[in-house]
Amino acid sequence: MIRWLVWFLVSSGAAVACEAAGQRMSSEIRDAPAVHVAFNEIPLAQPFSILLTVCSEIAVSELRVDAVMPAHQHGMNYLPVVTATGDGVFRVDDMLFHMPGMWELQVDFEYNGQSVSYTSDVALK
Amino acid sequence: MKLWVTVAFVALASAVRAEVLLSEEEIQQTLSFGPWPPPIQPDPSNRVSNDPRAIELGAALFDDPVLSIDGAFACASCHNPAQAFTTLDTRAFDRVLLDRNTPSLRNLAGLRWYGWGGKSDNLWAASLHPIIEEQEMAHSKESLKRAISESPYVNDFEAIFGEIEGQNPELALVNTAKALSAYLETLITGRTQFDDFRDALERRDLAEAANYPEAAQRGLQLFLGRGNCAFCHNGPRFSNNEFHDAGVPYFLSEIEVDEGRFGGLNFLLSSPYTLDGDWTDDLKKQGAWAVRNVRRSHSDFGIFRTPSLRGVAETAPYMHDGSLDDLDAVVRHYNEIDTGRLHADGEAILSELNLTEQEIADLVAFLETLSSATRP
Repeated sequence: MIRWLVWFLVSSGAAVACEAAGQRMSSEIRDAPAVHVAFNEIPLAQPFSILLTVCSEIAVSELRVDAVMPAHQHGMNYLPVVTATGDGVFRVDDMLFHMPGMWELQVDFEYNGQSVSYTSDVALK
Repeated sequence: MKLWVTVAFVALASAVRAEVLLSEEEIQQTLSFGPWPPPIQPDPSNRVSNDPRAIELGAALFDDPVLSIDGAFACASCHNPAQAFTTLDTRAFDRVLLDRNTPSLRNLAGLRWYGWGGKSDNLWAASLHPIIEEQEMAHSKESLKRAISESPYVNDFEAIFGEIEGQNPELALVNTAKALSAYLETLITGRTQFDDFRDALERRDLAEAANYPEAAQRGLQLFLGRGNCAFCHNGPRFSNNEFHDAGVPYFLSEIEVDEGRFGGLNFLLSSPYTLDGDWTDDLKKQGAWAVRNVRRSHSDFGIFRTPSLRGVAETAPYMHDGSLDDLDAVVRHYNEIDTGRLHADGEAILSELNLTEQEIADLVAFLETLSSATRP
């Protein structure tokens, strides 16, 4: 699947003692920095935004965001727009879940010379 | 006297039997299909949206063949107001037999995409294209300006948009389309038996809700559950307004295919009449995010926009090619769907439903309650 690619060179990461709101995303990479995702109630088939916080003092780059419905074998019909707001926080706009059910939010970026991936399940009624 | 007692007893027994069959989860899902009608905001991309003068002019132009090059057709010729703004034809027939079924024109305000292939992202563009499409109204920009200038509508046009003589032909075309759009925004289906049921559930008035026929309730349960209908037909319009493979063949002939969303996106992305273009009246370009960020995929080929189910009983025949005659045929299509016709690498939603004859009838009964005109 084509993914939205955003090149970021963030000058400074978030403080290590990260107190971000929202749910913590899962990663299979050991020692990967914590990533939290926060969002309001997600409207069905309407655009919405999320906030990502990367808890690391090391800058991350090439942050990508996507979402899929594993049970239906499809993703989103739109490319989300990622904006770095500083301190390891990224605003992601133009997300749209066009079906109810279980979505898997996917985030990955380059960190300390390696690619790290995260997922988080989001249920939409 | 004996008769009256018997009638009263039967009525009482029937009232006791009537009940709400839905689970709490199904009730919550049902609430998401309303309220109806929804609040309609003026279209910021159309400066004459909600303008009574433009609505009146748009209504008059809609009914008048002045919008076709040779005066042969009006918009209403194919979008017949007496037939829910469509026709009974399988595929639209203007100058030639077109590729698709004529969509109804109700509940169009505020959609993200228009047309079976989604070639427009706003209602005035969707109104503009048929005017200059060679196989439909066949005007050129110049001939349309001349036709409006020489028509009885010129004074009304100029009262809204200024002197037509000073407008270049493209501006006159866009202005005409925006008047049509202002009118089309006003076409909204009425409240239905389903809406009364849904609102009663919201008020927790189960006694009132129990008046909704049990067959329709059973059909609604199938719609929400095993039928998989609500994956795509959701929200107050019963449509997610996105594009899907419904397993309907898209071959027009042995050598021609209907490209569906693939072709719609090709058209859209080369059109000057989008919310991201110069002809929008919205300086903030709200809504332009969709045309800027829409994804392209090879699975766009032969997929079509989810139609609204509001008023669906009034808009036969069905599907993008009008190939299914009635709602019973539509339900049977999904019930016995040929999954071999679906994109091999497309979304995995549809499969044979194995509904019984009673369940098919229930689902049809539910769909019929989405129209003002319900079965007696």
